[in-house]
Amino acid sequence: MVMALDVLVAILASAVYGLVVGSLPGLSATMATALLVPVTFYLSPIAAVATIITASAMAIFSGDIPGCLMRIPGTPASAAYTDEAYAMTKKGQAETALGICLWFSALGGIAGTLSLILMAPALAEVALSFSTFEYFWLAILGLMCATLVARTSPIKAIAAMLLGLLISCIGIENPAGTPRFTFGSTDLLGGIEVIPALVGVFALAEVMRALTQKDIPPIPHRRLGSILKGQWALTKAYPKQQVRGNIVGIIIGVLPGAGADMAAWVSYAMAKRFSKEPEKFGTGHPEGLIEAGASNNASLASGWVPSLLFAIPGDTITAIAIGVLYMKGLNPGPTLFTEKASSMYALYIIFILANIIMIPLGIMMIRASSHILRVPRALVMPVILVFCAVGSFATGGNNLFAVLVVAAFGLVGFTMEKNGYPVAAMVLGIVMGTMVEQSFVTSLIKSDGSILPFLSRPISAILALCTFIALFWPLFAWLRRYKASFDAASPAR
Amino acid sequence: MRISDRISGVFLALLGAAAFWGGSRLPPVPGQQVGPSAFPMVVGAGLVIVGILIALHIGRSFEEQAEAELAEHSQPDPEAELYEKRRQWLALLPPCLLVFYYLVSERLGFIITAAIMIGVLAWAFNARRRLILPVALGGAVFIHLVFFKVLRVPLAPGLLPMPW
Repeated sequence: MVMALDVLVAILASAVYGLVVGSLPGLSATMATALLVPVTFYLSPIAAVATIITASAMAIFSGDIPGCLMRIPGTPASAAYTDEAYAMTKKGQAETALGICLWFSALGGIAGTLSLILMAPALAEVALSFSTFEYFWLAILGLMCATLVARTSPIKAIAAMLLGLLISCIGIENPAGTPRFTFGSTDLLGGIEVIPALVGVFALAEVMRALTQKDIPPIPHRRLGSILKGQWALTKAYPKQQVRGNIVGIIIGVLPGAGADMAAWVSYAMAKRFSKEPEKFGTGHPEGLIEAGASNNASLASGWVPSLLFAIPGDTITAIAIGVLYMKGLNPGPTLFTEKASSMYALYIIFILANIIMIPLGIMMIRASSHILRVPRALVMPVILVFCAVGSFATGGNNLFAVLVVAAFGLVGFTMEKNGYPVAAMVLGIVMGTMVEQSFVTSLIKSDGSILPFLSRPISAILALCTFIALFWPLFAWLRRYKASFDAASPAR
Repeated sequence: MRISDRISGVFLALLGAAAFWGGSRLPPVPGQQVGPSAFPMVVGAGLVIVGILIALHIGRSFEEQAEAELAEHSQPDPEAELYEKRRQWLALLPPCLLVFYYLVSERLGFIITAAIMIGVLAWAFNARRRLILPVALGGAVFIHLVFFKVLRVPLAPGLLPMPW
């Protein structure tokens, strides 16, 4: 399946595309994926999935390049360690910094893939025995996790998530088939299409943001030595950091709504916390770079675990990928691993392949970066805008209404971001809304309106408990902090 | 476009109330206790609660903490902030251009509409004057070629049909 010509061409083309888009500051890996969707429409299922996997993995790595060379992260996933990487560049170690990013990204990606291979089929086995009650709690737990990990007020995150759920209510796709919130518009009858909404939130909002921000200075020409030199020595010197980065990345990837950027932040902080020489952090020390670089790429593959099993996106990239999976008849669910097992094996192979070709292509990209990063933003962004329009038109069933959806969601995404409402939580709400409602209503019908079965089945009781812990965790954290500050203040009185 | 939490919170609470009210008016399914109204009403009620909490600034300390952590990793640049503030209304241009596309692309055709969009946005990004026209035309033709010819998306020919 993977060795078919169309799949190989798709992998190669999307690799180059991902590397270029990821390296351009202001264009994130999620945006790269969102803009790919209209193209995947016309590919075979495996080729379509391959483009998304490859482009996202490449984009997350190549976001490190402008971070190292110019102190401007190419994607948000590189922001956590941009300072560190740039400090190494200033010390004249640009090759080593870029090499670390490349080498440990590829290793991290492979570790993440192994976790996907091991975890997903085992979990699928368990998930086969789930009923709508368990699915309901699982979905709610997923949504709650997304609000917990958001780097903002948890209440705002819950608000964003509820807004997403409300948006998913629009249209006739509900258990009763009643038109809801359509205001008499026939365009709204089918509901808000997920892909145009995501293109609006992730691509258009980026164009809007770029328009208000200053252009970046041109990158200085630099002669780079061997990229991979010394990486093996670093791998042997910091095995603990690498493994810890991989594990943290995998765990964060599995958590719904938390993706590569979160993984990098947490891992960088962890590297500093457990380091024997924390004072060196920020001065161009490879330790944090290794751990965070290993972490963000590991999170990419494990993000597919909940997506493939339960249609619960592990991050914003898989939120888009789920839409593509449905479009291609690879409907997520535990049966995917029994009925479409060969497609799943193909998916694993693509992940490994993408991470292997990342090394030679990444080196080429690093060498070409001084030219690519000179392309003026003023010429790239307008073309992306037209891509948003045409791409959403094509995915929205050749309906111009989709273009309006992009415009509206661009505005919503931009405003939310500026005011501390996490966009990822809303996206999760939109993507999972139908599933949450379906499991909620079906369960209520089954139980004749009683909520007892929601809590009496063993697995659903555990999931419910986890959900409530997630819901009240912020309150607990706040109380603890409040008590600490109160204790600190009281002796002074 | 920073809005105070008080305004955004009240807006969300009102939106939730409207969703609750709109949901409650949906017709029930005969013979079933739960129908299409249950979910919007639950979500609406939730929005009312969190909207009020946001308006009361509850949870703000988490946001401040995250902002402080972010500030640790970046240097303040007053010049960039001023630039951003001056240009904040310009952010509305891209969505407006999409509405423009929605309104006129059928009549004018894809090439002309896309070229106008690219040209206007490139100008707003302060692109070099002599580059704007070639990029606008080249970009429009390139995207038409990819989507119309290769991906077979029916883009409107309008006033300027392409030979392919």
